[in-house]
Amino acid sequence: MNLSQIDLFAAGAAVLAVWMCGVTRVKTQLRGLLLQTTLLAGICVLLSADEHSVHLAILGLVVFLVKALAIPIFLDRCAKRMGIERDSGANINPTLSLMIGCGTLFLGYFLIPSFAVPEMMNQGAAGMALALIFTGMLIIITRRLAISQVIGFLTIENGIFLYSLTQTRHMPILVEMGIVFEVLMGVLIAGVFIFRINRSFEHIDVTDMRGLRH
Amino acid sequence: MNAWLITLIYLINLLIFPLFLVGIIRKVKALMQNRKGAPVLQPFYDLSKLLRKTETISGSASWVFVWSPRVGLAVALITAVLVPWAGTLLTPNWVPATNFLLVIYLLALGKFLTMLAAIDTGSAFGGLGASREATISMLVEPTLVIGIAALALGAGSTNLLTIYAAPMSPLVAILVGSALVVAALAELSRMPVDDPTTHLELTMVHEAMILEYSGRGLAMIEYAVALRTCIFLGLAAQTLLHAWPAYTALPVTFRYGISILSLIALGKAVAVAEGIFVKLKWRSVPNFLAFAAVMSLLAALIAAAQI
Repeated sequence: MNLSQIDLFAAGAAVLAVWMCGVTRVKTQLRGLLLQTTLLAGICVLLSADEHSVHLAILGLVVFLVKALAIPIFLDRCAKRMGIERDSGANINPTLSLMIGCGTLFLGYFLIPSFAVPEMMNQGAAGMALALIFTGMLIIITRRLAISQVIGFLTIENGIFLYSLTQTRHMPILVEMGIVFEVLMGVLIAGVFIFRINRSFEHIDVTDMRGLRH
Repeated sequence: MNAWLITLIYLINLLIFPLFLVGIIRKVKALMQNRKGAPVLQPFYDLSKLLRKTETISGSASWVFVWSPRVGLAVALITAVLVPWAGTLLTPNWVPATNFLLVIYLLALGKFLTMLAAIDTGSAFGGLGASREATISMLVEPTLVIGIAALALGAGSTNLLTIYAAPMSPLVAILVGSALVVAALAELSRMPVDDPTTHLELTMVHEAMILEYSGRGLAMIEYAVALRTCIFLGLAAQTLLHAWPAYTALPVTFRYGISILSLIALGKAVAVAEGIFVKLKWRSVPNFLAFAAVMSLLAALIAAAQI
């Protein structure tokens, strides 16, 4: 198969997501998220050059500013104020989850024929988008802290964004912008929510939140 | 260029540069710790001093102890001749085509000899160091094999000279390059895995193995270690340089200069990392090395997808 430059950017984002599976420091995870989303913004810019559309370039800029800068910085400040440094993982330890993450990338690669849209240019990106979605789910399952669940959610969102960007004939820019700001609102609300959890329970460990009453 | 001139540069580079690199690493490390440090040429002085001293050999040691550093040095020299750690363009044409698996197992052979000698003297430290070294090399080997195999897939050849003469996909080069840097830190007993300057017996890995050596034997071991440093860091530097797409199109001498400079820069980076990092707990070393293994595995996937 011939991988285009956009496919390689997508693969880079997926590799970063896998790397985030094995990292225990929340700050490093957020750096991974930043780089991963920056690569997606780069894909927007590359596509805009391919298709001569200014809209995609603007979208890339907005994605970079909101999803790659604002959200990780906000989550980083949240973590700092709650005094969180490490998420040692629940159920599965981070190293094992790194290996499984590696497996999801392979799975994404083998699912390319069934998920890529035949008439679109960048076939490989479809598989990488699926890998991002799986890896995001993996982060949500294997992590202990509520803030990591948000990181996992953002990874899934990145995967869906990548799929819609490379495998469809683009949604109107207003819809895309709407989604970006929706995600920003979602993260802000989740941040406030995590704050409240931290205040009432004095921790944000989701494995300890089995019953509604303590 | 003249064949004799190329051979001359190649051999001078091979004989002098490794010790020079070790000197630079030590100097930068000293500067990081706010010391003035020994001069950059100190490894040369050390070597000439050690060669003039008599060797003390423990009464319980056998011929393995005596021969291990000599054979180890020979193996390291052969490997250093075969591997294009300073770029491929100035390689003289008498250097044979080398399968990358041969190089990896020659390096493993050198390690095996050191471990054998460490067990031979029967001291407790030697045995402990050897067992740890065996564990580390077992963890690093998949990274090396899969990583360089990913590059070989891209180049369509298992010959190291062909692999490093061909352009590589930037993503694969970055992934394999960083995996090789991590593998080099572990193989060369560098900071997050092992502290090369420690004399605390509980944490030593490499130092524990060469504790019994003195004089000529120690000199040979030190020189072999310098050669291995060059081989590992050189391979990593070459791979990372290939992430720059224009690299293979540059003129010969320019490329050679960049290779040497990047090797020095990587050595300095290792020294700086040594000043910043904390040594890992022995139990979390596998977690650290797992990152390198995963990086080369993913590089192999991407390289395979690109054919």
